[in-house]
Amino acid sequence: MVMTTPTVGERAAAPTGDLRPQPKPPRRRGLTTRGRPLWMLLPGGVLMGLVIVVPLLLGVFIALLDLDQYTLRAWLTAPFIGVQNFVEALTDSPLLSSIGISASFALIVTAVTLPIGVTAAIATQNAFRGRAVIRSIFLIPYVLPAFVVATVWRTILQPSGIANNVLSGFGIDGGLWLNGPKSYWALVFVAIWSSWPFIYLLALSGLQSVDTEVHEAAAIDGALWWAKLRYVIFPYLKGPISLAIIISILHAINNFTLPFVLFGVPTPSNVQVMPVLTYIASFQSFRFGLSAAMAIVSLVIVAIPLFVYLRAVRLDSGDEKVLTETEAAE
Amino acid sequence: MSAVTPLKSTGAGTRRSRSQQAQIMRLLPRPLLVVILAVLLAFVLIPVVYILLASVNSDIAVARGDFWPTAFTMENYSKIWTTVALGRGLANSVIVAGGVALVCAFLAVATAYVLVRFQFRGRLTFLRGLLALQSIPGTLLLLPVFVLFSSFATVTGVQVIGTRWGLFITYLTFALPFSTWVMVTYLRGLPRELEEAARIDGASSWRILTRIVVPLSWPGIVVSGIFAFLLGWNDVLFASIMTNPDSRTAAVALQVFGATQEGGAIPVYGQMMAAALVCALPVVVLYLIFQRYLVGGLTAGGVK
Repeated sequence: MVMTTPTVGERAAAPTGDLRPQPKPPRRRGLTTRGRPLWMLLPGGVLMGLVIVVPLLLGVFIALLDLDQYTLRAWLTAPFIGVQNFVEALTDSPLLSSIGISASFALIVTAVTLPIGVTAAIATQNAFRGRAVIRSIFLIPYVLPAFVVATVWRTILQPSGIANNVLSGFGIDGGLWLNGPKSYWALVFVAIWSSWPFIYLLALSGLQSVDTEVHEAAAIDGALWWAKLRYVIFPYLKGPISLAIIISILHAINNFTLPFVLFGVPTPSNVQVMPVLTYIASFQSFRFGLSAAMAIVSLVIVAIPLFVYLRAVRLDSGDEKVLTETEAAE
Repeated sequence: MSAVTPLKSTGAGTRRSRSQQAQIMRLLPRPLLVVILAVLLAFVLIPVVYILLASVNSDIAVARGDFWPTAFTMENYSKIWTTVALGRGLANSVIVAGGVALVCAFLAVATAYVLVRFQFRGRLTFLRGLLALQSIPGTLLLLPVFVLFSSFATVTGVQVIGTRWGLFITYLTFALPFSTWVMVTYLRGLPRELEEAARIDGASSWRILTRIVVPLSWPGIVVSGIFAFLLGWNDVLFASIMTNPDSRTAAVALQVFGATQEGGAIPVYGQMMAAALVCALPVVVLYLIFQRYLVGGLTAGGVK
């Protein structure tokens, strides 16, 4: 390979700003066991152990307890009730309907943002005057903090707000968006507005991996634009887009801030997604044990796309070259 | 790899005029391109322009859904500081998120340095663990972390919940896996020769880290620091439970506007829009300054 190690300057100037260094051929030589400063792992390792791993295990334990606001202080002595919380979560709580809402929400948002993001990427691939500005504008919804986005749309969608004013200009009675049956679509719409640029970014990085020669070959063959897109360009986007789909689904399923701020608690029942339900069970109803059980069930659900994601990243994006390389070394 | 055929592509590039080259790279016919861009720009910009206009409009006019302000006024921007203690919220956010960014970036580079350069038992598990930990949803950890912190207070008498320290520790830990991951991928791209030379000269690992690795990896450190900052700045989940009026962050303070009413029944919508813009400002500024570094990182993988 002719590739040299990119210097800091080169990397900073790279058009995508991609921080990931180019994958290098495996070199065992670099990994040494001499003079290992393993103590440097301690602060980070201890923190992650105490504030992520221990709470994770504690969460499993709490799910087996009958824990409420009265027993919380002395949670160690709270009555142990085995899988009863899980039974209640699955049979006698809104959990199943929440799972359905979360899943359909994630799928709809991903299905709609995907074509928007890919189209935007294709449209800004060609150089034209003002492209840099347009690219920056496209990223605005993604850069704004979710709590700001939700606050703003809450104002736009309030019953006598601007959205309904505009709709009534077209003779449509908007009605309630933040309450009742239409709140689900309000959530979907705002989620689409704020998350499509993520797909856009991934699709853009996919497009940039298409060599100039490929464009030239398509031009020589006289391919029409849609044929070129369909048969030449789209195959290049397969990898980045599959990754984008999985991450987008995970983002949507785990999204707490958007529904929480957009509707406030208690949320209308048809936007009670899994994270919000877990939160309400804990800090509104004070059913801590039940809430922990719900959270674990949710994690199991999320684990499906998550597992696909972890496998995909490993095979695909170069992120995981690190792992495959170490595996080769060990 | 694209780097292998420089001769052919540069040769073709110089022989052809720029417009011809653009013609070949073109993916969409021009009219379609214009339509698509116009629609997308409207989709993004109309709400954004509305926020800007509403923030200089009166509360009542925003409440009844006016688009164009009857009278432009900067009053909202002066009132938001007294309606809600937004200044304190912003200060808390800056302190917590800023502190998290600094400490996290440093811990990340130290951890990544050991992971990238040294062989030890459990190294692979540690690397895999980073990816797994980064993917755990915050809602799952909220309750147990809350219980742990309150038990810590019962045992030691030191209250963590309701203080900035509680948020600091939480955000710092949650930001670590991703920041470390960013640094791991970054450090792999750095040449080892300098470090090896320094080691032969007898430098300690600490010295190599602070004198060679850190100065060489600023772009990576900046990105991992910014992501840690954003995690703290944007969080609502933990901040809504673990803060009190004294320690609440900007994200929570902004929610208070929604519950505040003026002269009876009109929510302070105009002020809320102004406050929302103020809360977004630091993030937008950071993004504009570090755009080219951040875009790569955005796509590199935050699952959260």
